[in-house]
Amino acid sequence: MTDYTSRRDFLRKAGISAMGVNLAMGLPSLVRAASKGENPRKQRLIFVFSPNGVIPKHFWPEVSEEKFELTRILQPLEEFKSQTLTMHGVCNKIKGDGDGHMRGIGCLLTGIELFPGDIQGGSDTPAGWSQGISVDQHLKNRLQANPQTQTRFGSLEFGVMVPERADTWTRMSYAGANQPVAPIDNPYQMFDKLYGQAKNRKMLASVLDGLSDDFRRLEKMISAEDRRILQDNIAMVGELEKDLKVELAASEKQSDVGHAVPTLPPNVREVNDNMPQITRMQSDLLVNSFAADFARVATFQITNSVGQPKMKWLGIEEGHHTLSHEPDKNEEAYEKLIKINTWYCEQVAYLAKRLAATPEPGGNGSLLDNTTIVWTNELGKGNSHTRNNIPFVLVGGGLGWKTGRALDFKNVPHNRLLMSFCEAMGQPAESYGNPDFCTDGVLTGLV
Amino acid sequence: MSNLFLKVVSVIATIAFGIVVAACSVSPLSADEKPKESEASTASLTTEQRLEQGRKIYTQKCASCHGEKGQGADGEYDEPLVGDDSIGELTRRITGTMPEGEPDECVGEDAHSVAAFIHQEFYSEAARIRNRPPRVKLTHLTGNQLRQSLADLYAHFSGSMWLEPKHGINGVYFDGARWKKENIKIERVDPVIEFDWKSDGPGEGIKPEDFFVQWRGGLKVNETGSYEIVLRSSCAFICKLGNFNREFINNRVQSGDKTEFRKSIVLTAGRVYPIHIELYQRKRKTGQRPANMSLSWIPPQGIEDVIPERNLLANSPPATFSLQTILPPDDRSYGYERGLSVDRQWDDSTTAAALEFAEITISELWPAYQRKHKKDPDENRAKLRIFLSEFAMVAFRSPLDDETRKFYVDGQVDLAEDDAEAIRRCLLVVLKSPRFLYPSLDQDQSPSQRAATRLALTLYDSLPADEWLLKLVRENKLETPDQTRAAAERMLRDYRVRGKTRELMYEWLNLTHLTEITKDEELYPEFDAALVSDLKASLDAFLDEIIWGESSDFRQLFLADWTFTTSRLEQFYGENWKPEKGEDSSLVKSVSAPDRRLGLLSHPYLMSKLAYRDSTSPIHRGVFLIRYLLGRTLRPPMEAFIPLSPDLHPDMTTRERVTLQTSPQNCQVCHIKINGLGFALENFDAVGRFREKEGEKPINPLGSYTQLNSESATFQGATELAKFLSNSHDTHRAFVNRAFQHFVKQPVAAYGPDRLDDLTQTFRDHNFHIRRLLVEIAVIAATPQVSTPDEVQP
Repeated sequence: MTDYTSRRDFLRKAGISAMGVNLAMGLPSLVRAASKGENPRKQRLIFVFSPNGVIPKHFWPEVSEEKFELTRILQPLEEFKSQTLTMHGVCNKIKGDGDGHMRGIGCLLTGIELFPGDIQGGSDTPAGWSQGISVDQHLKNRLQANPQTQTRFGSLEFGVMVPERADTWTRMSYAGANQPVAPIDNPYQMFDKLYGQAKNRKMLASVLDGLSDDFRRLEKMISAEDRRILQDNIAMVGELEKDLKVELAASEKQSDVGHAVPTLPPNVREVNDNMPQITRMQSDLLVNSFAADFARVATFQITNSVGQPKMKWLGIEEGHHTLSHEPDKNEEAYEKLIKINTWYCEQVAYLAKRLAATPEPGGNGSLLDNTTIVWTNELGKGNSHTRNNIPFVLVGGGLGWKTGRALDFKNVPHNRLLMSFCEAMGQPAESYGNPDFCTDGVLTGLV
Repeated sequence: MSNLFLKVVSVIATIAFGIVVAACSVSPLSADEKPKESEASTASLTTEQRLEQGRKIYTQKCASCHGEKGQGADGEYDEPLVGDDSIGELTRRITGTMPEGEPDECVGEDAHSVAAFIHQEFYSEAARIRNRPPRVKLTHLTGNQLRQSLADLYAHFSGSMWLEPKHGINGVYFDGARWKKENIKIERVDPVIEFDWKSDGPGEGIKPEDFFVQWRGGLKVNETGSYEIVLRSSCAFICKLGNFNREFINNRVQSGDKTEFRKSIVLTAGRVYPIHIELYQRKRKTGQRPANMSLSWIPPQGIEDVIPERNLLANSPPATFSLQTILPPDDRSYGYERGLSVDRQWDDSTTAAALEFAEITISELWPAYQRKHKKDPDENRAKLRIFLSEFAMVAFRSPLDDETRKFYVDGQVDLAEDDAEAIRRCLLVVLKSPRFLYPSLDQDQSPSQRAATRLALTLYDSLPADEWLLKLVRENKLETPDQTRAAAERMLRDYRVRGKTRELMYEWLNLTHLTEITKDEELYPEFDAALVSDLKASLDAFLDEIIWGESSDFRQLFLADWTFTTSRLEQFYGENWKPEKGEDSSLVKSVSAPDRRLGLLSHPYLMSKLAYRDSTSPIHRGVFLIRYLLGRTLRPPMEAFIPLSPDLHPDMTTRERVTLQTSPQNCQVCHIKINGLGFALENFDAVGRFREKEGEKPINPLGSYTQLNSESATFQGATELAKFLSNSHDTHRAFVNRAFQHFVKQPVAAYGPDRLDDLTQTFRDHNFHIRRLLVEIAVIAATPQVSTPDEVQP
């Protein structure tokens, strides 16, 4: 039997044209052939969120199936142009309760309405949480249900400077209706989640010697009869020390093959000015956790819908959201917004760079070859609050879609894109979110 | 059939379990009981001759099964020959039953001699203390002590709690859905949080569609265990617990139809947790919803209920920590918890506890310390080092010498550049150190330090962390018994002691491991979980009222003719359960009922627990009285028995059936003691309701008991039994012994062979003042022993 390294590889070798893909993928026997390789390719997906819309003119490249030109905002992706796919014309058409920002973030990955509730935005009706599960959590559940794709965490929810406030504007990921998932925006907390146990075992091992010494020092103080319980304790500590050595040696051996535990810079506090550093720390942790195969799906939520970071490191003193409301003719604000969006793009590029530099463990190519970064946003444009033309910029080969292109889907509901994600991850779905927007099926022309 | 089977199992389980406890505990007996002249009067033998004769006969006829020193023999009779029967009782027993199968071989004078011999040599408590003097053993912190010590380590930095007289919770009501001082419309103490304002809003001047309420107070917890907190509201709300900044349940967004929020948390007895709830009714463009809010809980082994006023304090307590790590159970082979077992499971749990505490230190204590010491110099991370040194000093109950500071603090800080990491390292070593885990490893400490350590351990199950106590240590003001007593008296005015005392009462009443009480649904349809929950609350309130009231008189536990009642209890138990004053559905004092009620004994929580699903059990009641209230030893039954079914003996009363079944001589050895006590409570049926008749037959509540001093007593029913118990030396001694064990976690005889009798006498001399007894116990525990066994031996 022929080995296919990827779906694309399979399609190429099987001689199926892009046009025929959807048809072919529907055939059970062919699907099985694609996924039945001895070492099925690990597919990974990251949703990167940045808020408050973009400046479309400097964001969207001109449509091109072949060679496209990166716009000003997308310049940082130059190195990965051939692995980049921009998808104009995908629209969040979910109506119902909630203002534009709320529906922007709350329906972005769920594709379904918000519940009625009591959170009133700047306009529209008040709303609560989303009525459904988000696509990252859905895929996680599916992947975790299969022993072949199961990982330690399934999914990881990263954040950067997400306010200490659980509301519709601060949550993108949902484990189900009314079940928002809080992103972890403290790198040390994320580190503890990923490595805490191992690290604590190591720390324990490193102090046992000193503790035993102190036990012996104190032992001299007491009667022979009472000394027994202390001696039992010392003996037990000795046993523990031996066991820990074995345990740690084994895990070290493992991590030599996989990856090394990253080191974080000390004492980085969660304050506005540390945002660049925190973003970098979180990106490093994300790449490391993928290399260790802790999860196949991640969200990376930088701030929140209506996020207000002040990017002083770019010479911008105003909050992002405030700036995003300025009319286009305010040239200064316009320019600053381009800079802000470019900064976000740099973060996506950094992530791509780290993934590209990490070889796929036990496989071919790099992590980026098997990971797709989906960079998105709750709005198409900040000052109009439109949810048409939601930014969707994809980098990497995780989904197996044909990259190096700038596409325009011309006003399709984003539910169809959510369905396409599912299908590309090997989990085809009849619909995703509100079925009314799914009748036309997955998007075509992606592969 | 299955019903019967259950009964058998329950009898065996109850009796067998009880035996293990009793057989291992030191049974109370007057310290130097010697063969009594009266018992030897029929014989012409001198005491020495009698003992010598007894030794000979014992060696010939008994030692092969019971061992040379009564220690038992493998495969013959494993149990050691120990107990608290008098020589007379032993003589009767030997005459009637020994040697096994040939009871005629050793009777009369011979039996008397053997009884005298074993009593003197190894059987009696005095013999056992003489043969193997108990000593104060080195133990590590029990699970509960670890939990409480961590709570106080936290409190050392956050502040200690006081006794707060004001119950309920402070509510501030605003017009408009946010905090705005000028919009305050109502400020009051709400007894509980249970409101349904519908569409009307909470009060005048407050727009029903747009308001904000903030409740703030303390949640007082009397028992350690897992509590499920249940909040219900149609509005958005936030609930903080343990610290006014520690989020517990976040429902900032009201969404869809979700109105119920539940979350479990382990809370610790004797602690008060700050609780803060903010409720938002926000104006909506779309359909406005009615507003409601309730705060309930499911306490350990309890049922869901609105958190009652008595558990809410209308003040702002300092932040509190409660350990969530699950700790393995402690050694109970002595009948009370002791930190004696050293194994991996225990070690793992101390590691987990240390790491959990490190996280709360990183997120709460350290930031607060930094804020407080903003202007202190911080060269070479001096602040962190001082903070961690203070932590180690409190944890170690000792100042730090250079070597100790170097390993536990500086060494760990130097190894970790990140502050959080340094705190983790330091706390891990400090909280795993023998200096923390073994509190009495303190022979090198000052007398005042040692006294404070023992006072805190005895009264709080914890360590000295309150500033006033630490100050006394620094000033060496805990050196005399008077100084110690004064400190103990001050410490007694504290919820921590109340928590520990509640545990004592549950141990004394054998209620600690009670899970549930259920009754036959056809016979007692209204006896449900809610009623049982009210009964427990009634008993708790009764105990608190007596112990913490003015006279703190132990005898009132048996003699009080009132109790605490609720409307549900009144409905079930009748007019004797009416509230003392007016109508009130919450827990209140009841009317007096001197004919029908006497203290604990008649309390249905106890009486229904000591009964079957459909009938009483004089045996359970008798065993409980003799073993727990009178502190006597009972041997396990020779074999397990199925109680005779009432259906097979329809004409017999319960008393008659029990008498019939326990009539064989082998049974009578113990049942002569058990039945007489249990029968006296026959006026209380399976649910603890007073009855005059069983079926058509009148109740015969005549009972009897032979005391430790061999005198016998008879009583007609619960009233006389209660009077007898309240005055009984055996009861007093048993309670003092139980209290000492529970508070000190060492055998009282380790503090002197006569200590128990002396302490019992002191108890009597002070009108059975319970609080005073606790103070005296703490003073004994904190006073250095003359030639303490735990001193270094040459």
